[in-house]
Amino acid sequence: MSVAHAVRVQGLTKHFGDHAALQDFSLEVPVGQLVALVGESGSGKSTLLRHLNGLHRPTAGAVEVLGTDVGSAKGAALRSLRRRIGFVFQQFHLVGRSTCLENVLSGSLGRLKGPRPGVIGYPIAERRDALAQLERVGLADRAFQRADTLSGGQQQRVAIARALMQRPNLMLADEPVASLDPETSKQVMDVLLRCCLELNLTVLCSLHQVEMALGWCQRVVGLRDGRLVLDAAASDLRESDLRDFYSDTETRKRKADPTRTPVPAAAITAR
Amino acid sequence: MLALTPPWTKRRVLLAVTGACLAVATAASWRDLGMVPTSLLAGVSDVRNLMERMLPPRLIDGGRVLELALETFLMAFVGTALAAAVSIPLGGLAARNISPNRWTAGAARGFISACRAIPDLVFAAIFVRVLGIGVLPGVIAIALHSIGMIGKLIADAIENIDEGPRHATEAVGANRLQAFTAGVWPQILPSFVGICLYRLDINLRTSVVLGFVGAGGIGFALRDAFGGLLYPQALGIVIVIVIMIGLFELVSGRIRRALLGDAAVVLPSHGWMGLGSRRPRRKALGQGPQPTPAKGRPASGSLRPPWTRERLTAAAYLAMFLGLIVYAFGELQLSPLEVLWALPDLGRVAAKVIPSQIDAALAGQIFSAMVETIAIGFVATIIGAALSIPIALMAARNVAPAKWVYAAARYGLVVWRGIPELILAVIFVAAIGLGPMAGAFALSIYSVGFLAKLVSDSLEEVRPGPREAVMATGATRPQEMITSLLPQALPAVAGHVLYVLDINIRTSTILGLVGGGGIGFLLFNSLRVLRWEVTGAILMLIFVSVYSIERLSGWLRTQLR
Repeated sequence: MSVAHAVRVQGLTKHFGDHAALQDFSLEVPVGQLVALVGESGSGKSTLLRHLNGLHRPTAGAVEVLGTDVGSAKGAALRSLRRRIGFVFQQFHLVGRSTCLENVLSGSLGRLKGPRPGVIGYPIAERRDALAQLERVGLADRAFQRADTLSGGQQQRVAIARALMQRPNLMLADEPVASLDPETSKQVMDVLLRCCLELNLTVLCSLHQVEMALGWCQRVVGLRDGRLVLDAAASDLRESDLRDFYSDTETRKRKADPTRTPVPAAAITAR
Repeated sequence: MLALTPPWTKRRVLLAVTGACLAVATAASWRDLGMVPTSLLAGVSDVRNLMERMLPPRLIDGGRVLELALETFLMAFVGTALAAAVSIPLGGLAARNISPNRWTAGAARGFISACRAIPDLVFAAIFVRVLGIGVLPGVIAIALHSIGMIGKLIADAIENIDEGPRHATEAVGANRLQAFTAGVWPQILPSFVGICLYRLDINLRTSVVLGFVGAGGIGFALRDAFGGLLYPQALGIVIVIVIMIGLFELVSGRIRRALLGDAAVVLPSHGWMGLGSRRPRRKALGQGPQPTPAKGRPASGSLRPPWTRERLTAAAYLAMFLGLIVYAFGELQLSPLEVLWALPDLGRVAAKVIPSQIDAALAGQIFSAMVETIAIGFVATIIGAALSIPIALMAARNVAPAKWVYAAARYGLVVWRGIPELILAVIFVAAIGLGPMAGAFALSIYSVGFLAKLVSDSLEEVRPGPREAVMATGATRPQEMITSLLPQALPAVAGHVLYVLDINIRTSTILGLVGGGGIGFLLFNSLRVLRWEVTGAILMLIFVSVYSIERLSGWLRTQLR
């Protein structure tokens, strides 16, 4: 087992009833790499990310994250793995009635014992840390405001602070800006990826538009119908490759071809 | 340096002070009733002893018991129907947006509130004194008390309508009544059906005890069984009651889905049933009188609406409803005229209950009995809340540790809630003796079942996303519950607890009938000896107390959102 890989997925298959969300999917991500996952909705990006922190269980195949086999981990082992993985959701998923600080503090639950009612339930040191994380995302002045009074972009920044509060080694982001307008999207992506770079985190971030990630990410991985169809270094990625990727997806969608995925040009798959 | 503790905003201070006041009130109540935390455990063992004497249940003269059960259902049904009929015009008068003027609206609201504040059992006891023993006083009592809820909810629903259609009908020259039938009624019809079905559910529960005061139904048989110390027979009757109430809950759920669709009907003023029917669902009963454009052009040739499936269903239910009304009047040997003729008698009573002079000693007694009543309500609510939360966690689909736990908890709650509170009070009085403690325990046990149902429903409505997000940080289940589940459910849960406090204080006014403490003893005694002015004074005190607590808890509920 090489610890040099933060994520190692081999032959991962996931069925939801009859529907196959992921089929024989394999991927290795070295420590410190920033990876963008691209593809249409329903292509399996979210399903993949949710396997990496154990929110889903594989139907077949192996998932190894930060040296732990996620597929078999449960209870305390799974929790201690999750503690090291920050997860940012498309819909932010903050507790709206709680204050921003309390939401950020919940990121420290994994290393604390027992339930923590309210901000005053947390140790002072954690509170100080949480405030620092809010500062990092530029929202320290909103610490005691209810989370649901914030704008979407601000809420997502609080959610990022919550993930950073975990002191993670790996950051997973599932369409973090898909519910935001373009201008806010750019700000939020900048905050997310800047923080991750500063802390030298490995990042897997799923996105609708690759353009958003090209400036930051080193590698782009494309999914379609639960299969890997694109895997390229961002610097090698030509405009035309992306156009092919998308136009191919478009054509397929228009045809609504239910049969198997035609294997795309081998050139695209090359690293 | 920024603060690390939440700042004391005005809102937080207000909530903290109110919370502290409620805590003090609860502690004081606890002391007032002379209860210690261990009394609950002692009570449990006493009840177990009684239960042993009740086993095995028996049903002597089963035919008669079933007949009385049917009578009970029909009383609840007719009472609810009468209340619904009266509530439509009354609710219209009470709704501030369509009432002729402010004074009418205020008077109508006041009458509705008074009906709500006086428990149906009290109405029944009064009417039995005036009209004699039988089902008629029972039916009128149910009707009058139900107006208090149905009328209020109709008025609230009318105040929440989309005003456009009403203004539009007025703009074409319709008069007030036409505007109501064309612009208002179609909008509130789905809530009206939901409200009435819900009230029928409640009335079935209360009508089983009306026989205690001679107002008809299965309560007669139950009183005899307890009075004659025939405990196995009493348990047999209680089982019949629980089955009847459980069955009706299933049936009414069916009817609700058939008429209103799958969308949960939520009533406006009670957050826990709150009203989602702003979008008009037109598939309900009747559709009300249509604004028929006499010279309308035939759009598709026909001048009659087609018999769609929805319309057939609605018509079938309407026919069933009318048939049941006719049958009920026949079976109960009531005539609609009789109901009308009772009105002057009731008017004479209303004149008599105006409190004149009451000596100071009696006034003091009444006052301290009212304090005891409120104390029972507080204690029952706090015990109920504490015990219901763990049960609610098991009865919420999204929290329960396993599917079978969820199913067992849900079905258990249906049975639990099927035992009316007054019957629990009779059981506790028989087990641990006369006094407020028996009443408080009975009411606590009842509140547990009631609250657990409401709380588990709210827990199921909690958004899963934030819960998942907290789990994804590596938190444990208990940590997630405190950090994500409870804060999200808190406003609803607090609202339910306050609502149950309301109900418990109302209910504790009648516990005295069976020796469960509170003001009920003085109240029913004054009726026994026909001291109407005392009855009147007590009723006024109940109205004032219940009404102010209702306002207080209503205000708190809006603050907690």
